[in-house]
Amino acid sequence: MSFIKKIFFVEILKGLLLTLRKMLFARPVTIEYPEKVRPVPASGFRGRHALVRDPETGDTRCIACLRCVKVCPSNCINVEYVCDTEKKCRVVTKYEIDALRCVYCAYCVEVCPVNAIVLTEYYEYAGSSREELFFDKEKLLKNWDEFIADKERPYFNPFWRPEGIPEKFLPVKKRKFKGV
Amino acid sequence: MQPLIELEKRQVGEEAWEEPFFLNMGPQHPSTHGVLRLRIELEGETIVNCEPVIGYLHRGIEKLAETLNPNQCILLSDRLDYISSVANNVAFALAFERLMKIEVPRRARLIRTIVSEMARLCSHLLWLATHALDIGAITVFLYCFREREWLLQIFEKICGARLTHGYVRVGGVRRDFTPEVVEELYEFVRVFPERILDYETLLDENRIWLKRTKGIGVVSPEKAIDLGLTGPSLRGSGVPYDVRKFRPYDAYDEVEFLVPTGKNGDTYDRYKVRMQEMRQSASIIKQCLDKLSETEGEPVLSEKAPDLLLPKMRKEVCPMLTPKGKVVFRTRKKEIIPKGEAFASIEAPKGELAVYVISDGTDTPWRLRIRTPSFVHISAIPYLAKGHMIADLVAIIGTLDIVLGDSDK
Repeated sequence: MSFIKKIFFVEILKGLLLTLRKMLFARPVTIEYPEKVRPVPASGFRGRHALVRDPETGDTRCIACLRCVKVCPSNCINVEYVCDTEKKCRVVTKYEIDALRCVYCAYCVEVCPVNAIVLTEYYEYAGSSREELFFDKEKLLKNWDEFIADKERPYFNPFWRPEGIPEKFLPVKKRKFKGV
Repeated sequence: MQPLIELEKRQVGEEAWEEPFFLNMGPQHPSTHGVLRLRIELEGETIVNCEPVIGYLHRGIEKLAETLNPNQCILLSDRLDYISSVANNVAFALAFERLMKIEVPRRARLIRTIVSEMARLCSHLLWLATHALDIGAITVFLYCFREREWLLQIFEKICGARLTHGYVRVGGVRRDFTPEVVEELYEFVRVFPERILDYETLLDENRIWLKRTKGIGVVSPEKAIDLGLTGPSLRGSGVPYDVRKFRPYDAYDEVEFLVPTGKNGDTYDRYKVRMQEMRQSASIIKQCLDKLSETEGEPVLSEKAPDLLLPKMRKEVCPMLTPKGKVVFRTRKKEIIPKGEAFASIEAPKGELAVYVISDGTDTPWRLRIRTPSFVHISAIPYLAKGHMIADLVAIIGTLDIVLGDSDK
């Protein structure tokens, strides 16, 4: 650093000039959160869980194959079912997700063969008790109703059929799925 | 920890009687970048001895990995160095791919390179922000977070999460880039070098910054190698070691970049190295994006990749020929992950991150060992801090760029 530069605080003034320029001419990048909420930039944010409500039956589409239970790395999904002997299918009686254990990886969304479960873009659901964040089947369906109310239909979550994944990895129903 | 002057001598009065002053810095000290505790022995304000105490954030990731299948292990790696999750993901995925002998498609390799470099930018920006804040420059903090926020938003578009991405999968990546993301990345790469100039205008010649960084925490190249430093901390001492050049992984052999090195091995040189690295990262991202357009429409996951949902040890029916010429069907256990061991090391933003996996044929690794850069760097703090003031200790912790989630595992 030369003598003149040292005396006249050249480098400090340069820095101050930069901050002044930013202060006067740059637009603010911060937002005041509770008043102004930043929109989720793209669909596919991994937020609060929901079970898709089938528009035809009005119930969940889950077929109790237990793939989500097996793939879950934190063991936060609990499913119970009964076998319907007449229709030869399984009927879900209990579907529970402990959101406090969940790591939000969306593996369950990816492996579900009928696209019954989804991680919605809703993220403001802090609770003051554990029970509030323990989702049973009714709560999960309610989460879906709240989420889908202001969404464009048909809604399609990017994790239901991730782009660029070979078809081999997708069950047949997932390949042809168009959205709900 | 041994006090400088032995107690008996003090009591007899042979030496100047002075009580050694012990100070606990941490585990909740804000400038220790996490829950690092340092027991410091002081003489006046000069550090005589310093002992790092770690383990406050131990979650047993190595043991936990033994109960999870490869793709689930990758989610654990998000929690190692949570500032650059994708880099850790890549290390884990590479180890498993070498074990299972999976060839990753070119498009996936390019995407991985891009996201690793984005993670490097995220990490270096956060490092610069907090390091400058520790030393006393607040404006840089805000400017760095502005760019980091932009990167996090791009990450959000790519994989749907801001910090714990879990984006890489064994055999490729989980999702392809959308055209929007590519466009935004081009825009980012175009703007970013100007923004680095902003930080440099504020810091490079600033006399306060120079006084706080020049000559602080000097490591000679030999000592740096002895201490096991890697990454920018080693390169600051002038050793041009970079895993991306020495053992190229992903698409690093396709791109051109320089490995910046420092001369004096002090805090200022490490700062310069990281600033240059950010420029190189931006250029790598740009080159990869150009190449990405060549591979439009290709899959991002290998056909041989394991499914997310791996079966437990599977029984396989195989035909066998008896001596009498009859064909008999026997069942035998089929290996899910091939037996054997594999090693992968990558250049994580903080240094060399290595993963070593041993498999016994089941769907989970038998043992998984992680070598994290922060753990090694913390062990270098006593050497670097000796003889400095307490205020400089903050600068030394900052310059090594440690994350306690990374060191405690």
